[in-house]
Amino acid sequence: MTNQLLVRRTIHWLLTVVVIIYLITGFGITQYRIVEPLTFGLLTKNLAHIIHMNLEIPFIILVVLHLWLLPLLKRFKLKQLSRNN
Amino acid sequence: MKKAIAGRPILLVALSMVLVAIIAFGVNTDCCQTEGLAPVEVREYEGVDLSSINAFRENSIKGPQEIDVESYTLRITGLVTNSTSYTYDEVLNRYQHYKKVVTLDCVEGWSVTILWEGVLVRDLLAEAEPLENAEVIIFHAYDGYTTSLPIDYVMDNDILMAYKMNDVILPPERGFPFQLVAESKWGYKWIKWITEIELSDDASYRGYWESRGYSNSADLDESFFGD
Repeated sequence: MTNQLLVRRTIHWLLTVVVIIYLITGFGITQYRIVEPLTFGLLTKNLAHIIHMNLEIPFIILVVLHLWLLPLLKRFKLKQLSRNN
Repeated sequence: MKKAIAGRPILLVALSMVLVAIIAFGVNTDCCQTEGLAPVEVREYEGVDLSSINAFRENSIKGPQEIDVESYTLRITGLVTNSTSYTYDEVLNRYQHYKKVVTLDCVEGWSVTILWEGVLVRDLLAEAEPLENAEVIIFHAYDGYTTSLPIDYVMDNDILMAYKMNDVILPPERGFPFQLVAESKWGYKWIKWITEIELSDDASYRGYWESRGYSNSADLDESFFGD
């Protein structure tokens, strides 16, 4: 597996995990009467709020990387190729 | 056979006419009944656009509470000279009514601007005569929810205990009979279904959400996490 592929896969998986946690904690805030008993009291409204708010920046960074990493790397590679030629 | 086919459109037309007549009769009888007409809320007050009373998100701890107004009493207890209890009508008839537009900001991220009408908590307390060592007002709700506010905040500001919103009597899901209008505080201080106002000297008292990590001061210009 090349480094590029590894980085891409890591970003994709991290983004997936962050999105899932983002969704669950979002429900933990607005539907706390359901989520709290479902998680055996582990995910309280307060905790869901803290996690949800702290995930905002990582989520944005991962989305940006997910969307732009590949095109940026391609452009970088093309530039390198044209220089070598 | 041909006759039977040719007769079908006539049958359809006849059926349609009967259907139209039934609908028209139904609409006509509905239009003349005033019973069951939903209360009409105002959506603008002195140039301010108001949110709908349906714009709230239901996020109470045990869901909407149905309170029987006939058996309802509002009790004022704790560090007061005169512990009292009022019926719904007594609260409405004994005290001056006030109106004001206040925005409720919920920690969940939504907010609503509503025209509130109610009585001043300060007026209720004046009759009960708080003792000098009373520092905190603890509000109790029908569903077991509690929250507290410093007595100075309630005395120094025109804090309403509302019975109407947008000119409509509070519906059960919005806190009938009374909801606190804790302006400049986060939404969890706006307790609904108030049944008791208790005066206390326990400055460390924490209400339902406050004991679960939300700020006790709950000032809008500060984070709702922390002390």
